[in-house]
Amino acid sequence: MQDTIVALSTARGRAAISVIRMSGSQAVQIAQKFFYPFPSQPNLLKVGTLKTEYFDEHAMCVYFAAPHSYTGEDTVEFHCHGGTAVAQAVIEKCLSCGARMAENGEFSKRAFINGKQNLTNAEGIIEMIDAETASAAKAGANLLENKLGKQIVDLQDKLLDIVSACEVALDYPEEDIELPTVDTAKSQLKEVGDALGALIATSALGKVARYGIDVAIVGKPNVGKSSLLNALLGTDRAIVSDVQGTTRDTLSESVNYRDIRFNFVDTAGLRDSSDKIEMEGVKRAKRAADSADVVLHVTDDPDDRSVYPTIRPQIRIYNKKDLFDKEPCCVDSLAVSAKYGSVDIIKETLYDMFSAGDIETSDLLITNERHLDCLKRAKQQLSEAISACGATTLDVVTNATKQAWETLGEITGTSTNEDIINRIYSKFCLGK
Amino acid sequence: MTNKEYDVIVIGAGHAGCEAALASARLGCKTLMLATNLDTVAFLACNPSVGGTAKGQIVKEIDAMGGEMAINADKSLLQMRMLNRGKGPAVFSPRAQVDKNAYHVNMKRTVENTPNLFLRQGEATKIVRNDNGGFDVTTAVDLTYSCKAAVLCCGVYLNSRTLVGQCVRESGPNGFANARFLTQSLVDLGFSVKRFKTGTPARVRLNSIDLNKTVEQRGENDVAPFSYVTDKIPATKRSCFLTYSTAETKRIILENKHLAPIYNGSINGVGPRYCPSIEDKVVRFADKEKHQIFLEPESEDTCEFYVQGASSSMPASVQEQIYHSIEGLENVEIMRDAYAIEYDCIDATQLDATLMAKHVSGMFFAGQINGTSGYEEAAGQGLVAGINAERYVHGKTPFTLRRDNSYIGVLIDDITTKENTEPYRMMTSRAEHRLILRQDNADLRLTELGRQIGLVDDNRYNKFLAKKQQIEQGEKQLQTVVSPKIYAPLFEQKNEPVTGAGLTVDEILRRTNITAKDVQTLGFLKDLNADALYQIEIECKYRGYIEKEKEAIAHANKLENKALPEDIDYMKIDGLRLEARQKLNNIRPKNLGQAGRILGVSPADIQILIVYLAQNIHK
Repeated sequence: MQDTIVALSTARGRAAISVIRMSGSQAVQIAQKFFYPFPSQPNLLKVGTLKTEYFDEHAMCVYFAAPHSYTGEDTVEFHCHGGTAVAQAVIEKCLSCGARMAENGEFSKRAFINGKQNLTNAEGIIEMIDAETASAAKAGANLLENKLGKQIVDLQDKLLDIVSACEVALDYPEEDIELPTVDTAKSQLKEVGDALGALIATSALGKVARYGIDVAIVGKPNVGKSSLLNALLGTDRAIVSDVQGTTRDTLSESVNYRDIRFNFVDTAGLRDSSDKIEMEGVKRAKRAADSADVVLHVTDDPDDRSVYPTIRPQIRIYNKKDLFDKEPCCVDSLAVSAKYGSVDIIKETLYDMFSAGDIETSDLLITNERHLDCLKRAKQQLSEAISACGATTLDVVTNATKQAWETLGEITGTSTNEDIINRIYSKFCLGK
Repeated sequence: MTNKEYDVIVIGAGHAGCEAALASARLGCKTLMLATNLDTVAFLACNPSVGGTAKGQIVKEIDAMGGEMAINADKSLLQMRMLNRGKGPAVFSPRAQVDKNAYHVNMKRTVENTPNLFLRQGEATKIVRNDNGGFDVTTAVDLTYSCKAAVLCCGVYLNSRTLVGQCVRESGPNGFANARFLTQSLVDLGFSVKRFKTGTPARVRLNSIDLNKTVEQRGENDVAPFSYVTDKIPATKRSCFLTYSTAETKRIILENKHLAPIYNGSINGVGPRYCPSIEDKVVRFADKEKHQIFLEPESEDTCEFYVQGASSSMPASVQEQIYHSIEGLENVEIMRDAYAIEYDCIDATQLDATLMAKHVSGMFFAGQINGTSGYEEAAGQGLVAGINAERYVHGKTPFTLRRDNSYIGVLIDDITTKENTEPYRMMTSRAEHRLILRQDNADLRLTELGRQIGLVDDNRYNKFLAKKQQIEQGEKQLQTVVSPKIYAPLFEQKNEPVTGAGLTVDEILRRTNITAKDVQTLGFLKDLNADALYQIEIECKYRGYIEKEKEAIAHANKLENKALPEDIDYMKIDGLRLEARQKLNNIRPKNLGQAGRILGVSPADIQILIVYLAQNIHK
């Protein structure tokens, strides 16, 4: 018998409504103690009164009977007014009547224990919850649909063909069975290796889909970096002034554009200063640039040809073009006016630069670090198998191929170990 | 009522029975070995050979722990080969042709000369629990013997019947009497019994074979003896001959298919897929025009030859046509007919890893009665069952082998964990750690264990220690730096690039084209014997792969070390699929690793068990 857990399912803080969810064998009995009239049947959303210690809340209640619920257990949901105080009071009431606070990821863990989800499904759900853009949600949905799983099963199947052919050669040396030649084994292994390589290659785009593009805005003081950030965000997020060194620390803010998330980092202007705090800001700016996917190097001088010292690709932005009396000197740069014009051309350029348009048409993207890790390891094991072909003996080739097969199995959950499960469940956010 | 009291009774004197009885007696138990017929002691009922892929490794393991099979094979040798040369040390497998008569005589003599061991003819008809917590065993002539522990090694004799076409006989193999009553005792004790099938080909007369149409196969004279304590084995005494079936063979079989018991429904037992009869091969692999046939000598005392690859249960008249259609056998005289045999065996998932029945303490099982096939598989189980029978009698802790230290460990784990639907044969691919479980290092893996058990005598142990010491000595030399002046001529001769820098002996040996013998010509590893030299060579050349294998073992052992509580009620874990719940409840695995190997328990079920365990331990 499972004890009964409770948690807030919607986001914490100000919102129109909150949903509090309870799951476990006592969920219905507990809810009946303080909500009436309690719905007469499952799956029916009922308006009623929820009595807390502090106030009576006008709320709605629905229950799902096991096993037809997300967790596979009896589950009750309260739909209340938003805000921290209401949610807190309802949860307290549940706790005082016998429920306990859910641990991180416990609802999904129970769904998994009760056979309602498999591993890749579970990961798809995490990604759906975490999704901040439509693109990320699509990638998560693909996982849920098990598109990756199907491809992996296909590849595993091919490897299994190779392995079994080799095993026959090893176990039945006295039978005159047509044995796989090193050349055919090698080309078959290479085929699977290439397919893995192609999947791994989608991870760059997968990262864009899931996490977006990290963009650092750098340049000398007072070239309008903060104005540019505000223009890109469409809000007055950064403080703007004509005093040099207004921005002292880096400032991060994200915006969605054409279903892609852009994570902008505004940085302190680069100059020599004796101000210790300001110099720390400059240091941070350099660090931000080096860890971004791309750097916007902002200048307000149409003759500026300087290059920002970073390992990352950079785009030069001529800001304040409304003040220029001539065309900027570098034609491969963008000219904008953060104050008076649209800066969408920057976002559009970044969008194209990262081929973000391909996300819509791509069938499958690798967005999950664990999957990427498995794919890379499997590819490595296959390379070992391939280089073992001819150089060493068939027993070694077969073993390496078998390992690659098992590694791929970790993605779909056909080979299992505890580490995978621990990692997955530590990633679940409370209440889902 | 009787003074016929023993510590251990072994029922059956085949390959499992002999190892079990010898182990039990050598460890100090007063042991009785009962056989329906004393002429069946260690009788090679099927092919006259010992070893082969994976089986050769098992023979070496039996030997490393102080068992008898390897020594007996060396004594009875006709020729020796190493299979899979060129496919890698993990799958090198020694295989011996042995003299069937000598094999029986030599083993019987060893049994007769072993103190504490009593050999007695008699068909066991009944075994029941007696008042002392042991067992009473009654024979067909109404004598009763009692024991504290029993080891059942009944082979294919329980309710067996042989089939040649429509001619069915209630009989054991080779016309020996079967055992008609003992199955009932097992059913009464709560064992579930199933029916398996196997078969054997005809024996033909050597001088009626046209040897010009065959390819002669002699033994290889550079293969080490099976046993680590045998100093020398003779050169090839008898040859084998290779030939093929023909299109005519296929035609005859397809025309007479309706007469084969497996196709007309008169056989109920399940036969092995890996050891099909010739009719089975022709029907299932219809696109293949010819099949390979090996002719193997049965003994130096006889001109009978075993026709490997052509077992059959067709009517004798059809058999004649089939054999006559094989190249070189056009005028062959058949001396014994091929036949199929059906027999009772138990479901070995009712046993634990010591091969004792989970619900009948003191009762052990080994060999084909457990649904396995093969002399070597039987002997390996016999050794483990015999050791454990003694430990049970003397109140010692049970002895078990593991998947990461032996093929026998893999075998026992497999048969006690997975329900077999056909006779179980060992294969190297069943062993996930085969790079470690090699035929050359069985002693390094197991002799220390055998010594602790008490089966490894001083002679064997001293040889083992000497080998270990030689290996250590060789390992020390591996780090010696050799100047290019010394190794360059060898490298040039072997097409290895010379860098001009000094190389360690280890680095030289790791070069693809350099062998340990080559290194000896440079003046290193000179004083090592062949065994130790070979160990050094393999450990050098395969070090990377072996290290990886060890990591894999450590990884796998994480699940092996997760014990499952004995009182766990799987039926109550709702997340498990129903099939998994039932299987887990029946087999009651010791740990998560074993649970994962149960057929019908999926990785998803294991994930659920992991979470379940975590939750219930934290509670």
